[in-house]
Amino acid sequence: MYELRGVTKRYVRGKDAVQALDGIDLTIGDGDRLVVQGPTGGGKSTLLQMLGGLDRPTSGEVVLDGIDLASLSEARLTRVRSEHIGFVFQSFNLIPTLTAQENVETALVPLGVRAAERRARAAEALESVGLGERLTHLPGEMSGGQQQRVAIARALVKRPKVLLADEPTGNLDESTRDEIMDVLERMWKEHGLTFVMVTHDSALARKASRLVTIRQGRITVEENTGA
Amino acid sequence: MFFTCLRRELRRRGKAALVVASGLALGIALVIVVNSVSRGMSRAQDEVLQSLYGLGTDMSVTKAAAPPSKGGQRPRFRFEAKDDGSEDTQSSDLVMTQGFATLPASTVTEVAGQKGVSSAVGGLSLDVVKVSGQFTRGRIRQDGGEQRGGPGGGPGGGPPARIEGGGADFDVNHYTVYGTDVTRPELGPLTSSKITSGRGFRTSETNARVAVADAAYAKEKKLEVGSTVTIKDVTYEVIGIATASSGDAAANLYIPLKQAQTLSGEKDKVTTIYVKATDSQQLDTVKSAIQKNVPGTTVTTSSDLAKTVSGSLSTAAELATGVGTWLSAAVLVAAFLIAGLLTSSAVSRRVREFGTLKALGWTSGRVTRQVVGEAVVNGLAGGALGIALGLAGAYLVTAVGPVLQAQLGGPLGGMGGPVGGAGGPGGGRAVLGGGPGGPGTTSLEVALTAPVSATTIALAVGLAVTGGLIAGAFGGWRAARLRPADALRRVD
Ligand SMILES: Nc1ncnc2c1ncn2[C@@H]1O[C@H](COP(=O)(O)OP(=O)(O)OP(=O)(O)O)[C@@H](O)[C@H]1O
Ligand SMILES: [Mg+2]
Repeated sequence: MYELRGVTKRYVRGKDAVQALDGIDLTIGDGDRLVVQGPTGGGKSTLLQMLGGLDRPTSGEVVLDGIDLASLSEARLTRVRSEHIGFVFQSFNLIPTLTAQENVETALVPLGVRAAERRARAAEALESVGLGERLTHLPGEMSGGQQQRVAIARALVKRPKVLLADEPTGNLDESTRDEIMDVLERMWKEHGLTFVMVTHDSALARKASRLVTIRQGRITVEENTGA
Repeated sequence: MFFTCLRRELRRRGKAALVVASGLALGIALVIVVNSVSRGMSRAQDEVLQSLYGLGTDMSVTKAAAPPSKGGQRPRFRFEAKDDGSEDTQSSDLVMTQGFATLPASTVTEVAGQKGVSSAVGGLSLDVVKVSGQFTRGRIRQDGGEQRGGPGGGPGGGPPARIEGGGADFDVNHYTVYGTDVTRPELGPLTSSKITSGRGFRTSETNARVAVADAAYAKEKKLEVGSTVTIKDVTYEVIGIATASSGDAAANLYIPLKQAQTLSGEKDKVTTIYVKATDSQQLDTVKSAIQKNVPGTTVTTSSDLAKTVSGSLSTAAELATGVGTWLSAAVLVAAFLIAGLLTSSAVSRRVREFGTLKALGWTSGRVTRQVVGEAVVNGLAGGALGIALGLAGAYLVTAVGPVLQAQLGGPLGGMGGPVGGAGGPGGGRAVLGGGPGGPGTTSLEVALTAPVSATTIALAVGLAVTGGLIAGAFGGWRAARLRPADALRRVD
């Protein structure tokens, strides 16, 4: 469960300072599905970085299951990321030199999983996203939708508590978009994840249980009773 | 996973790796070639010195320089003038001690008695000029044009020079004879030759009429074991053929010292004393001891002699050690820098890749290790490539074997000088030094080789690893600084 209190993030570059997040208070329950919307530059990605422990807030607390990520050492924060947080990026972020299976395996490397088990679990994860036949393919040999499935398998192979997705369908065409959303929804249900997704797609937004909108670093939360 | 990533990276992005590796390879190949060529140079210099000195000789003692004599000892031929039409062939051998400067044989014992001297052996170097032919009328016309010498330069430049004077038809033949102390075979110029047929001198043959011929000279004169040679009406039996192990032979013919002394009329005299020191590190001390305690002598150590080596050999040696070293150092530094910058820029291009791995929970250390590992493998590949290139280059140099000229003497030469005129016996291809007062230089030819030593290879491997580590340090430093949030950076 997430508990954000007074989270601010200022980016300072020379004389310019950008207030990307400006006093965010937000609670996300276990198994929630949260959709984050907002205009470009509003601070959506920045919020996701705070949730995923990719960066630290300038001030405020980001508490995950009673631990304040903002005050953890780099090593412990890295450990939290490796164990509990799965990421899916807009541009897939696969390692181009590694096969689908090896890409998925990279998520298990910091957990110290042995090679044979790593391979088996990676194959299983790829199977569950419908890519059981493509273990040895390189990212360059796959379509965007397939690459994003590999990325989803990579995010979930370690069975995290949290899945964070930053515009996961942003680089995909319409038909593939639905396909990926279906996979994500299935995974959310199967794994009982806390799922936070940034998207511009308002049709998708309507399906979320809670909808967060960020404008100029400030949020408004809508409870979606219809979902 | 470390090796999987490494293998994949190198296989799938081999071109970038190859660029880094080739840069290093070039630098390393250059180091190998320069190193080997310098080694070849110093080996060539050693060869030159050895052919003059013999193995194991640390220094030579000769008569101290004296003011040039006023032509009193100038060579003179005597022939009976015959009437026109005479067909009689006359011949005359002129036997001269090289440099016209001798030391009494007792000096050998005196030198041997000096502190730090392990052993000393005397030898007598002779130049023999044989003039033979028909002489009808007129005089020998001496053509001084080819002579570099001063007054009274010896007869014609190189053997055999034909002099045709008014009514004369003569052959002039010049060769060198070395009178060796047969009781002391362990020291002296003959040690740098191997007896390849027949036998060497017996220690009992102190005054025997036997000779050992240098292989090159023997071939030219069609001499073999059992042939005879006549020097100034004395006939010697050739008992062995000696082949110079490197460079040129010290003399054309070797005869027992006593015979040489008799031939030249220099009873109990030697031209050069070959000295072996007890400690090769103390040569300067021994040198000054001899010079102080044995008056009238000049001591030349092998390093003194090395300083007098001039000509293309020393020019090349200077090039190799000077320009070559600088060039290879510069190329290496450049290669290291380029490898570092390329690795660093490769990391920059892969910011999102490494950011993603960090976002997945890879520690900075793990990511850095990956980058450094790649760079080191790159470096080793460059090293292997460089060693191959370097070996090929060194092999090429050895195969082509450019011939280098070495002139010995020069500044120290001159009449009675320690090296030139009065110095060690000239090589087989030696240009006959000028007469008294002439610049007593000896010219030798050596083929350049580029022997690659194990040390050089070890150095190359060390440089390859260093290059890889430097490149890795650049890249690793960059990679360690990446933030996991860089995974979200839009770089494409
Ligand atoms: N590393 C950074 N350094 C400086 N400024 C940054 C950095 N990252 C984000 N910003 C700024 O912070 C603000 C919020 O950025 P963020 O990426 O969170 O927006 P976003 O809502 O994700 O936008 P988009 O829809 O375009 O992805 C923007 O003004 C952006 O320019
Ligand atoms: Mg964004």
